[in-house]
Amino acid sequence: MQSKLSDIELIEQTLTGNQAAYADLVKRHQRFVFTLALRFAKNREDAEEIAQDCFIKAYRSLSAFQRQSKFSTWLYSIVYTTAMTFLRKKRVDTDSIDDENTYIQLENSSSSHDVNSAENKSRSYYLNQAITQLMPDDAAIITLFYMGEQSLDEISKTLGIEANTVKVKLFRARQRLKEKLEHNLKHEVKELI
Amino acid sequence: MNTIEEKLWNYIDGTCSDEDRKAIDILIAEDEVYRRKYEELLALNQEFFKMELDEPPMAFTYNVMEAIRAEHAQQPLKAHINKRIIKVISGFFIVSIALLLIMLISNVHTGGSANISVHLPDSLRLPDIKNYLSKPVLEGFLFFDIVLGLFLFDAWLRRKGVSKQV
Repeated sequence: MQSKLSDIELIEQTLTGNQAAYADLVKRHQRFVFTLALRFAKNREDAEEIAQDCFIKAYRSLSAFQRQSKFSTWLYSIVYTTAMTFLRKKRVDTDSIDDENTYIQLENSSSSHDVNSAENKSRSYYLNQAITQLMPDDAAIITLFYMGEQSLDEISKTLGIEANTVKVKLFRARQRLKEKLEHNLKHEVKELI
Repeated sequence: MNTIEEKLWNYIDGTCSDEDRKAIDILIAEDEVYRRKYEELLALNQEFFKMELDEPPMAFTYNVMEAIRAEHAQQPLKAHINKRIIKVISGFFIVSIALLLIMLISNVHTGGSANISVHLPDSLRLPDIKNYLSKPVLEGFLFFDIVLGLFLFDAWLRRKGVSKQV
């Protein structure tokens, strides 16, 4: 059962040495942090490593959290920098145009169900499949906006870019997601015929 | 120049100006192409909001907390030490050094252009340092200083590296 205390109250308790309070914070944010990490890492093992690393870094720097923004915004910025560092270490070129068209199957993902039965595939399955085919930056911005319920200003703080740039990037990411979705659904209809 | 889709997305997100919003309201009401596009994007937007978060492994929280415990769990609370204690300690040293300097300066008598003699009070009998300053002692002292300096420099670089990563 998760704590009913606010993020700030849990942070204050953590700073007084109550580690259980931090465990509650982890439980509260782990699903989103993991999902966001998965947008960059593309496999669950790496995403788990990134997400775990983020929570440890956040714990170390908790006393430096200024409380001028939401804890989630601060935490997601740590996820972003950690994931980018991870990608650099893995020497994955996130800007490569070739990569954009590369199909990336999410290994062991909860969204990677058995695909033999086309009838069982829901629209949400195709959406998850399409989002894994996006570039990490596009997938992250979509995830922050729709799943993290972050405003454009909050996303700009998380990613360290201007709010107007976020707006443009979000528009482009949605266009690409729409195209991937249409492509996947068209392909599926052909399979059925 | 904004495309129709870009304008409609801004309209759906509520990030367009009042003027644009009114113009798009009219276009949606009167233009069939605009209305269809708007409905299509609106449906897509609702689908996007329905996306579900992935579940991390069951032991995720436990693993994080174990990693924190293993990594000197008290370390992040360093900055939470009562700052008054640090201020009192630093104040003590500053006052002591200032008093020593004042006492030293007040006892300095310049005899000539280069001769400087210091007369300390009898209560402050300093040992004759020359007896202790042998070459091996000095070398040992310098060696210790260099090692300590390198150790502190390394610790500073590590801290800088960690804060950069965060």
